[in-house]
Amino acid sequence: MPIFDQGYQHWKGPLSSHAWRWFAITRHGVRIGFQGRVFRMVLLVSLLPAVALATALCLWGLIERQSDLVAGLVPILVSFQFLGPGVATDPKMYRVEIWTLCFNLFFSIELTLSMILIVLVGPSLISQDLRFNAFPLYLSRPMRRIDYLGGKLGVIAAFLGLAIIVPCLLTYGLGLLFTFDLTILKDTYRLLFASVAYGLVIIFVSGMLILALSSLSRSSRWVALFWLGIWLVSGFASGALEGLQVAQRQRAHFQRVAEIQTKRPADETREERRRRVEAMRADQKSRVETMQMEQMEASKTDWRPLISYTANLSRIGRQLLGTDAAWQKLSEMQPPPMRERFLAQWLGPQYPWYWSAGVLVGLFGVSAGILSLSVRSLDRLR
Amino acid sequence: MLFQFESVTKTYGSIVALDNLSVSAPTGAIGLLGPNGSGKTTLIRSLLGLTRVDRGSGQVLGMDFRRRQLDIRRAVGFVPEDECLFPHVVGVEFVAYAGELVGMSTKDAMQRSHEVLDYVGLGEARYRKVESYSTGMKQRLKLASAIVHDPQLLIMDEPTNGMDPRGREDLLELARDLALNKGMSLLFSSHLLPDVESVCDQIIVLGRGKLLTEGNIQQLKQLHQRSFEVRLKTDSRPFCDRLSALGCRSETREDFLVVQIPDGRTQQLLWEVAAQEKVQIRTLRPQRSTLEEVFLKALEQA
Repeated sequence: MPIFDQGYQHWKGPLSSHAWRWFAITRHGVRIGFQGRVFRMVLLVSLLPAVALATALCLWGLIERQSDLVAGLVPILVSFQFLGPGVATDPKMYRVEIWTLCFNLFFSIELTLSMILIVLVGPSLISQDLRFNAFPLYLSRPMRRIDYLGGKLGVIAAFLGLAIIVPCLLTYGLGLLFTFDLTILKDTYRLLFASVAYGLVIIFVSGMLILALSSLSRSSRWVALFWLGIWLVSGFASGALEGLQVAQRQRAHFQRVAEIQTKRPADETREERRRRVEAMRADQKSRVETMQMEQMEASKTDWRPLISYTANLSRIGRQLLGTDAAWQKLSEMQPPPMRERFLAQWLGPQYPWYWSAGVLVGLFGVSAGILSLSVRSLDRLR
Repeated sequence: MLFQFESVTKTYGSIVALDNLSVSAPTGAIGLLGPNGSGKTTLIRSLLGLTRVDRGSGQVLGMDFRRRQLDIRRAVGFVPEDECLFPHVVGVEFVAYAGELVGMSTKDAMQRSHEVLDYVGLGEARYRKVESYSTGMKQRLKLASAIVHDPQLLIMDEPTNGMDPRGREDLLELARDLALNKGMSLLFSSHLLPDVESVCDQIIVLGRGKLLTEGNIQQLKQLHQRSFEVRLKTDSRPFCDRLSALGCRSETREDFLVVQIPDGRTQQLLWEVAAQEKVQIRTLRPQRSTLEEVFLKALEQA
């Protein structure tokens, strides 16, 4: 018979240790992931923020060194208010803040791109194994459930690491090179660790969640829709609730202004009218400031951002990177009456970071629970 | 010794899957027989360390099956009964991936994948998506992925289920070749007794989680003392009538007769009747039990 033409040869090659078994799954998953054209394009696009970050840090390095290459650029940046005059005068004073804000912007864009990368590669990771009943093939080999899950998580980690952590490390190094000053290492090393830590938080929390969702259905499409629901719907819901609250506060404020305006006396002289309008303007200004202060104060206990999945990740990121402290320092360049408005404009939600940490830890726990139930061992009756 | 179980008990709630089972199997090709729910699959999973037994001890390929599950699975190849695939890969990637999961390097796994795919007759389909394979091809693919790392023991769980006769014969031929010519021990679980008989030289029969019988197939298929297979050259009816008159029972099977002679008589009786009826006996030999009879007898004893 032709099937025996080649014969069977014994094989006596080396086998790797059990500790690296998960890596075979990761390697295979990465290989499969790279086969998708759309995924490759999105991965490429996700590297663009890193290019922008690298450009910004290099430019900043040149500005710090007061290089001739950027001599003409600084006044333009100042005139377009990209740089405050104080920053341009003594850039080293604001080194940490500028780096922090650059990294923060990088992460805020990268967070969205990460969600897209996950929706492209994550849903099929376990759901397709369920659909094609691949578990007996995995578990009958020298592999534990934890190796299987570790391998699948490794696929997410590989792609997100490539889009987030690796660019962070490279751009950090590039920024150091362009600054040409060893003191920057002392000033910014914390930022490097914070970036890696934040990247790992995104990878582990999002990775576990998409794996848990993927283990709930045999259809990758449903999993993708579920993921989009968690990401987008939670974001919209949180935004809508926050908007509603702001609108309520504004309505109360303008109601008070309208009440004052309607109290116009019938026999008012011109001088009285002028004084009344001035008083009204002063009152309005003070009320706006009060409203902003109230807004700031309310944001310290506002639970609404907790509904949004990405807002929670973002809050942890801001805490790790020290973004709020950077804005606080930059606000000192503003004239005192403008500081609150500046901060109100740029600071994000001010509720305690550990609220978000609690939500993310809870999601991680729920994901782990779902996975332990869905990815079952074969120690059961059929 | 291929494996050895001592007083192994495994329960799932109130269901006893393995009931104080003690069994040992020598190297070679072993058939695992038993009706549904007899504990075959649990025994296989226990061998692979996939189930945690309640009591008992044992060894598989000289390794404690309760402690060294990963080492055992590395030395064993398993062809599961269910239809199961690694999705979205072509045949050669499928088998190479199976090798990588056991610990082979990417290069070794790919090279070996080509070799075993040629061996199982899927050489020409190696670059096709596995989802497009027929049932028979999928079975051969699973066999290829089970032997990619050249295991000492190959476990096949109902490998011919749902296959057409040609595909079934091809798969049995491969199993036979691996067991007889390539020195790979084989544990072959099947409901189809002819399949087991054509591949294995030993059997283990389970029933309700207990060992019903075990041993060499040829020895289990014992010779009958008063039952003979007789093949005649001419019409057998007068011969049968004459035997009936003498207290014999005869039964026609395909192209021969099975004749049971009464106590106190020998096969000489058959020669005498043939001479009297002037018929020519072409074959006369003691009847041997079929594997089916051995199996049914074991079940009756349970």
